[in-house]
Amino acid sequence: MALPIALRTSVIPQELELVACEQLVDIIPLVAMERTAFISGAYGPLRPPAKCKVPIWMAVNLKMKKKCHVVPPDWLNVEFLQDRLTRETSEPQFSELPFRFAEVAKVLLDVASDDFQNPDKLRSLLKDIREARQAKSREGLAKLDHSELSLPNLCALEINEIRPFFIRAMGVLTKLTKDPEGQQMAY
Amino acid sequence: MGDEYYDIDAILAENQKVQCTFKVNVPDMGHLAGGEDRDIKSGAKIQIPMWMAYILIYSDYADFNIPPPFSSRVRNALDAEARSVRLTSLVGQGGMWYTFGVMIMRLLNDEPALEMSNILVKTFRARLTEVVDQAQHFASIGASTGGGSSGDQGMAFREGLDGTERELFALAQWSVKLMKKWHESTETSRR
Repeated sequence: MALPIALRTSVIPQELELVACEQLVDIIPLVAMERTAFISGAYGPLRPPAKCKVPIWMAVNLKMKKKCHVVPPDWLNVEFLQDRLTRETSEPQFSELPFRFAEVAKVLLDVASDDFQNPDKLRSLLKDIREARQAKSREGLAKLDHSELSLPNLCALEINEIRPFFIRAMGVLTKLTKDPEGQQMAY
Repeated sequence: MGDEYYDIDAILAENQKVQCTFKVNVPDMGHLAGGEDRDIKSGAKIQIPMWMAYILIYSDYADFNIPPPFSSRVRNALDAEARSVRLTSLVGQGGMWYTFGVMIMRLLNDEPALEMSNILVKTFRARLTEVVDQAQHFASIGASTGGGSSGDQGMAFREGLDGTERELFALAQWSVKLMKKWHESTETSRR
């Protein structure tokens, strides 16, 4: 294969963002549009000022042309994230967050920061959560063994980040571990 | 790392030598010992590369000693602090300490093999966190300022990484770099 080694083992963050952008988000359109068929499905009709559910990629597109307001998802606000951050720092396990929260939060905060009440606070909370979770997955690394690893509530982006070297490290550990039955079968 | 036929790492690891004690006389093979003698006498101790040692040991022509990279001196050092042992100085630059260890392990039976496996696993796990930590550190400060900013200890540790650990280091570093790049890019700048 001609792909660089890093791209063989895992998808890249940009690709995960693309996947996450298929999720639906509420918008308040500023233009009217009939129900329209796209490859991924039919969305609309857009009738200002009624709310409408569209995929994130479409919301981003409309937002860039100033043709809609994004309604923040119910988990993307200061109270909710503050609560999660407190749990994240006080409890040993990963707290429950939407599977693709990092991607969605970044895209929405990038293009529609004026639709959020306190975007800077949100950004710093997300950063803190990310760092708290990174510290935990580092602990997971120390407990790594050759047969299994359980890190529940890890989100897509985090799994993707640790995937290449966790897999490799577990592969190495499998080789290093002497397994009497495996040994018999090998010869 | 592994024992697959086409695995370059395994081939490189097989170049390591082990000391074998011959149990039989082998005529006309004295050049293996590098000496003047024409024959190998039974009881002669000769350094044989791993790829040849296999067949000699399996055919019961020779016995082997645990090679120096896994001697009790090294084991004690690993027990004391696995992170301060320079694996490359045990098996040479770009050496494959773990792969070599697995090969030795396969030659041993029951108890010693288990012990060998424990040493390898313990060492690997003790060093893994440090490998990934350093990789993350280097990915986040960027390659250009890498050299002098971190302590001498970190430097010595990196130089002591064996081939397998180097690969892990590169993987971790690459993945952190990708993440960093993504976090720094903005949606609006991309269109």
